[in-house]
Amino acid sequence: MSTVCLNTSMGSITLELDRQRAPRTVENFLGYVRSGHYDNTLFHRVINGFMIQGGGFEPGMRQKPTTSRPIQNEADNGLKNDRYTVAMARTSDPHSATAQFFINVADNEFLNFTAPTTENWGYCVFGRVTQGTDVVDKIKTVATMRLGAHQDVPDQEVVVESAEVVSE
Amino acid sequence: MSEAVALASVRLRDPVFISDLHLRQDRPRTVQRFLRLTERLASGGRELVILGDLFEAWVGDEDAEDGIGATVSGALRSLTAGGTPVYVMHGNRDVLLGEGFARASGAAFLADPCHTVLGDVPTLLSHGDAYCTLDRAYQAFRRRARDPFWRGLFLGRSLAVRRAIVRQVRRLSEAGKQSMAAQIMDVTPAAIEQALRSAGVARMVHGHTHRPARHELELDGRRAERWVLPDWDFETDPPRGGYLQVVGSEVEMVDLA
Repeated sequence: MSTVCLNTSMGSITLELDRQRAPRTVENFLGYVRSGHYDNTLFHRVINGFMIQGGGFEPGMRQKPTTSRPIQNEADNGLKNDRYTVAMARTSDPHSATAQFFINVADNEFLNFTAPTTENWGYCVFGRVTQGTDVVDKIKTVATMRLGAHQDVPDQEVVVESAEVVSE
Repeated sequence: MSEAVALASVRLRDPVFISDLHLRQDRPRTVQRFLRLTERLASGGRELVILGDLFEAWVGDEDAEDGIGATVSGALRSLTAGGTPVYVMHGNRDVLLGEGFARASGAAFLADPCHTVLGDVPTLLSHGDAYCTLDRAYQAFRRRARDPFWRGLFLGRSLAVRRAIVRQVRRLSEAGKQSMAAQIMDVTPAAIEQALRSAGVARMVHGHTHRPARHELELDGRRAERWVLPDWDFETDPPRGGYLQVVGSEVEMVDLA
């Protein structure tokens, strides 16, 4: 198990990553952590009752370019989108995840893999929050607004100030 | 929020197929005709199969709690409770029908497409919008609307916000429809043939296009057919609406107007 710590403006969140079940996804995520991609990024989409999403925007809602290619979706690994798990965000193309991720704040069963088709591939869980669930709970309840094309953007920016690999 | 399971195949004896009723509060005659059909089916030992767009809009299963959603769910509940099975496929308008609706109505969801056998003929059931492949923008929207994460984003919002979004999408879609060539809104024959071929069936029943017809086609040297269900509108003059029924091995279109 690898461990990563997200130091956010609202407190620290420790993620334990499941290398066995989601090897490519974990390697991809660690690559972005090591390169400093997540430093000074936002939780830019917050929906209480669903999830909090980050990893793609800098303060001021400036989209951050990604450096690696999209990865193969490993959602068929048996891990479920339960509360406090972390999963990769993507477009409606199942194999399009790059850097953005989300933390489930509810048991989102409908996001799980059910079949290897575009509609049913699901969203790949690759770890879970082991410390800082209280921080996640604080983030999920912040007030949000619409900002340009984006809905559910926190009124007050929630910043990942730094992300670090605690153990490989 | 949890996703209701949809059947990939279904066994039917004497089904009645309808689609594209686009039921809404301000179409009382259409709603009445639908309720009458359900009453007639109540004693018949048949099955009611709805191939999409039963409702004009569905912004979440809260819609089953009052208004037209509650009326219709209740009518379906009377059928299912009395032993008449009801199957519902999602259309493009009511793609968000969920487990709450299934509980309220007693209906089972069908996957799109769904396999069945009518008479002795293996048949594919579909709403039909997936085969309008020339409409690229619509297909992109369809993929997104059927993506579970998108559904989560939408259903995670308040009911008032969801209704406002649907109204806005409707305005944009109406504006787009007027400027789009009619042929783009119909299915692409090649896409239908591909679906029939890969399912190994010789018949399809679908709705969506509002162009009721029976089309004969030749598929790899064999005869195949495609039935298109009529949409319903009993507020207009002349009114229109009907259903497709299968009695024994005979498929028959019945006009209700």
